[in-house]
Amino acid sequence: MAISVPADAATIFPPHVFDQVGRAVQDQLFDRLADISDDLNTIGDKGFKPRLADRWEWSRDSLSVAFHINPRARWHDGQPVRASDVRYSYRIFTDPKVGSNVTSEISTIDSVSVRDSLTAVVWYKQKRPEAFYDFVYQIYIVPEHVYKDIPPEQLRTSDVTRKGIGSGQFRLARWDAGQRLEIVADTANYRGRPKLDRVVWSMVPDAGAALAQLLNGQADFLEFVPPDQLRLVDSSKADRTLPYPSLQYAFLGFNLVDAKDATRPHSIFGDRQVRRALSMALDRKAMLQNVYGTFGRMSYGPFPRSLSYADTTLHLLPYDVNAAKVLLDSAGWREPSPGAVRQKNGRPLRFSLTLPLSSRPRVAFGVLIQEQLRRIGAQVDLDQVQGKYMRRAFQLQIDDAPAVWLYDLSTVAGIQRRIHPTVLRADGWSIHLPDWTIPPNERIARDRVGLGGATP
Amino acid sequence: MQPPIRVSAPAERLAASGLASAVTSAQIPPDEPARARRTPTALWWSLAFIVLLCLIALFAPLLAPYSPNEQLDIVGLKTRPPSFAHPLGTDQYSRDLLSRLLFGARISLSVAMLAVLLSATVGTAYGLVAGYLGGRVDAIMMRLLDACLSIPRVLLLVALLALWSPVPLGALIAIIGFTGWFEVSRLVRAEVLSVMQRDYALAARALGTPGLRIVWRHVLPNVLTPVFVAATLGVANVIILEAGLSYLGIGARAPTASWGSIFFDGSDAFQTTWWIALFPGLAIIMTVLAFNVFGTALRDALDPHQLAGGDAR
Amino acid sequence: MRRYVAARVGQSLIVVLLVTTVSFFLIRLAPGDPFSFAGEMAMNPAVRDRLRAQFGYNRPMVEQFVLFVGNVARGRLGYSHSMHRYVGDVIVDVLPRTLLLMSVALLLSFVIGVAVGALQALRRGTWLDRMLSSVLLAFYSIPDFWLALMALLALGYWVPIFPAGGMVDQIMHDYMSLGGRIRDVAAHLVLPAITLALLSAAGIARYQRDALLDVLPQDFVRTARAKGVGERMIVLKHALRNALLPVITLLGLSLPSLVGGAFFIEKVFAWPGMGYVAANAIASRDYDLVTGTVIAGGIVVTLGSLLADLLYAAADPRLRAR
Repeated sequence: MAISVPADAATIFPPHVFDQVGRAVQDQLFDRLADISDDLNTIGDKGFKPRLADRWEWSRDSLSVAFHINPRARWHDGQPVRASDVRYSYRIFTDPKVGSNVTSEISTIDSVSVRDSLTAVVWYKQKRPEAFYDFVYQIYIVPEHVYKDIPPEQLRTSDVTRKGIGSGQFRLARWDAGQRLEIVADTANYRGRPKLDRVVWSMVPDAGAALAQLLNGQADFLEFVPPDQLRLVDSSKADRTLPYPSLQYAFLGFNLVDAKDATRPHSIFGDRQVRRALSMALDRKAMLQNVYGTFGRMSYGPFPRSLSYADTTLHLLPYDVNAAKVLLDSAGWREPSPGAVRQKNGRPLRFSLTLPLSSRPRVAFGVLIQEQLRRIGAQVDLDQVQGKYMRRAFQLQIDDAPAVWLYDLSTVAGIQRRIHPTVLRADGWSIHLPDWTIPPNERIARDRVGLGGATP
Repeated sequence: MQPPIRVSAPAERLAASGLASAVTSAQIPPDEPARARRTPTALWWSLAFIVLLCLIALFAPLLAPYSPNEQLDIVGLKTRPPSFAHPLGTDQYSRDLLSRLLFGARISLSVAMLAVLLSATVGTAYGLVAGYLGGRVDAIMMRLLDACLSIPRVLLLVALLALWSPVPLGALIAIIGFTGWFEVSRLVRAEVLSVMQRDYALAARALGTPGLRIVWRHVLPNVLTPVFVAATLGVANVIILEAGLSYLGIGARAPTASWGSIFFDGSDAFQTTWWIALFPGLAIIMTVLAFNVFGTALRDALDPHQLAGGDAR
Repeated sequence: MRRYVAARVGQSLIVVLLVTTVSFFLIRLAPGDPFSFAGEMAMNPAVRDRLRAQFGYNRPMVEQFVLFVGNVARGRLGYSHSMHRYVGDVIVDVLPRTLLLMSVALLLSFVIGVAVGALQALRRGTWLDRMLSSVLLAFYSIPDFWLALMALLALGYWVPIFPAGGMVDQIMHDYMSLGGRIRDVAAHLVLPAITLALLSAAGIARYQRDALLDVLPQDFVRTARAKGVGERMIVLKHALRNALLPVITLLGLSLPSLVGGAFFIEKVFAWPGMGYVAANAIASRDYDLVTGTVIAGGIVVTLGSLLADLLYAAADPRLRAR
C-alpha cells in the first residue's frame, strides 16, 4: 500500500517523534505496553487492552502498577523484550539530555523498577485518574540493547535511531530520507502477522500532484482531500472517500497578557468586552461551511464533538455584528470616521494573527476572520508563518513568559499532544488553532477560552 | 549618438574581459526574425499592450466592479464559475476575481518595475565604477560579482523570504531588487570598457577632460540603451519570480491581491475550480510575453548586431 | 593554457569561498533556529537551551561562522536537525538526483535548441522561422511552476501517459530487474526533464540561430557554396561546427537558471533532489541544511561554468596557445 504524504518524518525514534508521519510510522514499529480502546476512555485502566504487556496489576495503594510483558514478544533483531527495556525506555523519555518531547507530560511518574526479567513496575508520585494513561500512552518501549552504548545526548544525532528496531507488527525496510519510507510485515511477530505485507509512505509536497497520484493509481491513500475536490475522488472508479471524525478542533485564541509584562493585561484583549465583541462579529457557521463544506461541525467548547462527553448545551455567543459594534463603542474603541479603523486613546484597534502556511484550512479561516473583523473596524494583519515552525516573536513569548502558554488538556486526553499553539506576536495577541489534518470539528473562540490565557 | 560597438562573439568578449564567464547572459529569449521588416510591428504591439496594462493598473479602482478584498457572501457566492455578474468568477472567499485581477496588476507590475529599477540603478553604478576604475579594483569587484552570480538566486530568495516571513511589500521589492543587479553590472562594465577604448573617449581623455565627465558625457549615454533593454526583460523575469514566490506562499501578504497570490489561492484546486488559477496565470503569461517581445524587439531595433544582453532568471 | 587553467581554478575556489560566506550570514541572521518550532513545543526550555548550546546556536554569529568554516574546510557541512542526518550525507544522497535531472534537461535543451536554431537559420525569414521563435518565446514566458503543473495534469492525470511525480515507482521499483529499474526512472524523468529543458531551450535556439547567421556570410561558407555544396549541407557540416562553440559557453551559463528552475520543478514533480530537500529544510528552519543546499548549488554553478570555460578554452586555438 502506498500512502501519499506532503512531508517526510523528521525522526522515528519515539522520544523525538513529533510529526504526523513519524507518529504513524512509530505506531507500527513500536509498541506501547497497552493500547487505548476505541471508546477513548483514558480514565483508569478499563479502557485499555493489552499490547506489549499481556496483563498488569495495581498495588494495593494504587501508587504502582506491575506490567507483565508478553513472553513471546521479540525485537525485530530477534532479542526478547525484557522488563529492563521498559525501565530504559522510561529513562530516555525523561532524561533531559535526550530532550524528549513528552517529558513534561509524564511528570507524575516517580520511577520504573524491574521485578523480574518480564515484570516492570511503574511507580507514581500521586494518585491520578489518568495515571495509567500517562505512562502507557506516552511511552513507547524501545530496545535497551540497541541504544545503551550511545551517550544520551548523542541519540538525537545517532544513525542507530533511524533503524527503527522495535517490537511492532511491522519492521522498517527502507528509509530514503525525504523520499520514501517503507515498512514490511514482521512475519514472526508475537501478535501475529499483519494483514498488509508492505506499506510505503511517499513524500509528495505539492497538494495537486498528490491528488493526481491518488487518482491515477500511483498512490493508494491520501489522508486529506479538500472538500472542494471530493467529487474528483467520488467520480473516480478506483478510489473512494472515507470520512472519519477527527479528534481535533480549532479555535481562535487571544493573548490576554501584555507582551512585555506578563503581569499586566493585554491592551486590547485584556478587556472582556472587546473579546466578546470580536467573537460576536465572526459568523462561525458561515466560515465553517466555507472552509469545510458540510463536513465541519460547530464546537461548543474546547473539546472535539466526536467525544462522548462533548457538551452541546453550552451557551454560545450569537453572531451579531451590530451588537459587536455597540460593545466596542462602549469599551471605548470608536471609529474616527465611518469605516475607519477604531481607536482608543490614539491606539488603533489593530493586531496580527499568526497562521502556519502549511495548513490551508487555517489560512482560509485567517482570511475570512480578517475580512469579518474589518467590517467592525478592526484591522487584522495576517502573519503567515512558514511550515510548522515559529517566529522569533513567538519564542519571546515562550521563553520569556512561559506561564502564558502552560495549558493542560489531559482531561481531553488523547488530543493533548495534538495541540500546537500557533501564534502571536510581541505587540499583541494570539490566535491559536490546533493542528489538524481532517476537518470535521472546528470551533472559533468562544469568549474566555483562550487556551493561552493566564486567567481562568 | 554613435552606435555602440559591442563585442559580440564570446571569444572577443573573452579578450575584453579576460574571463569566459564574462559572457553576459544565459537566458536570451529568441527574437522576432526578419527584424528589419517585422520588428516595428512587434515593438508597437507589445508596447501598446504594456501601456494598456499600466493604465489598467492605474485606474483599477474605477474599472473594478467590486473592492478586491470584499467577501461578498462566503456561503452563497463561494467559487462561482464565470458568469454575467462575475465575468471571471469568484474565489473560495467569494471575492470577485475580475476585481482582484485588476488590482493584482498594480501589485505585480509595481513590484516588478520597482525591483528592476532598483537593480538597474545598483547594477549600473557598480558596473560603471568597476569598468571605470579598472585594474585591481575591477578584478576584485568582478570576483565578487562572480560569487553573487553563482549563488542560485531562487534558492536564496526563497530561503531569505521564508526564514524572515512575513515580509512587507517594500522589503520584498528590495530583496528582489538587490539580488537582481549582477547581470546588469556585467553588461555595463563591458560597455564601459569598450566605450573607453573608442576614439572620442580617448581623445577626450587626451584633452584632459576629467574622468567623471567622460563617464557622464560619453559612457553613461551609451550604457543606458542596453540597460533599458535588459531592464525590460528583467521586468518579465521578476513578474515570473514574484509569481513563483507567491506560489510558495511567501510573496505578497494576504489579502493583498497580486497575480501570483491569486494563482496560489487557486493552484491547489486547479482540477475543479480552474478559473481561479487560469486567469491570473494567463495574465502573467501575456504580460511576461509582452515584456519579452518588447525587450527583444527593442534590442534588435536599436542594435541589430548584438547577440546577448538581458537578464537571467 | 596551463596558466589559464590554474587561474580559472583559483578564481573558482575564491568564488566558492565567497558563496559560503554570503549564504551563511544571510541565512543565519534570520530569526529563529532549528529548536524553536511548534512540533517540539512541549520541549522544555532547559532542553532547548542545552540543544542550542550543543550545536552552537547560542554563540555569537562570528564565532558560529568560524566554527562553520572550520567544519566546511574539513568537509563537514553541519547537521540537519529536520532529517537527523549529516548535511554532507543528505547532499551526497540528493545531489546526484538533481544532477541527473539537470544533465538530462541540459542535454535535451541543447538538442532542441541547436536543432531549432539550425532549422531557423536554414529557413530564415520564413513563416517556420517566425513560428518557432514565437513558440519558444511563449514557453520562455510561462512561469516554470505553471508549466510543470500543466504538464503534470495533462500527461500525468488527464491523459496518464507518464507517472505524476516521484522518481521511481514507490511500490515496485525494488522488485524490478536492472533494465526495469532504468526504464522506471526514465519514465519518471520524462516530464520534469522536458519541462526544465523547454525553459532554457529558447535561449539556446536564439543563440544558435544568430551564431549561424553570423557564420553563414563568412568566407569558408562562401567558398563551399561556390563549390556547389547544398545549403542544407553547408549549415549542417560547415557552419554548425563553428557556431557550436559559443553554445558551450552558454550551457555553462544557463546553470544558475537551471538550478532555480529545478527548485520549482522538483517541488511540483516530487523529484527528491536538492530543490525538494531545500524546500523542506526551509520549512523546518534547518539552517545547516538550507546553507548546505545553497552552497552546493553555488558549487554546481561554479564548477559548471569552470567546466564550460575549460571546454571552450580547449576548443579555442587562441586560448590554447596561452
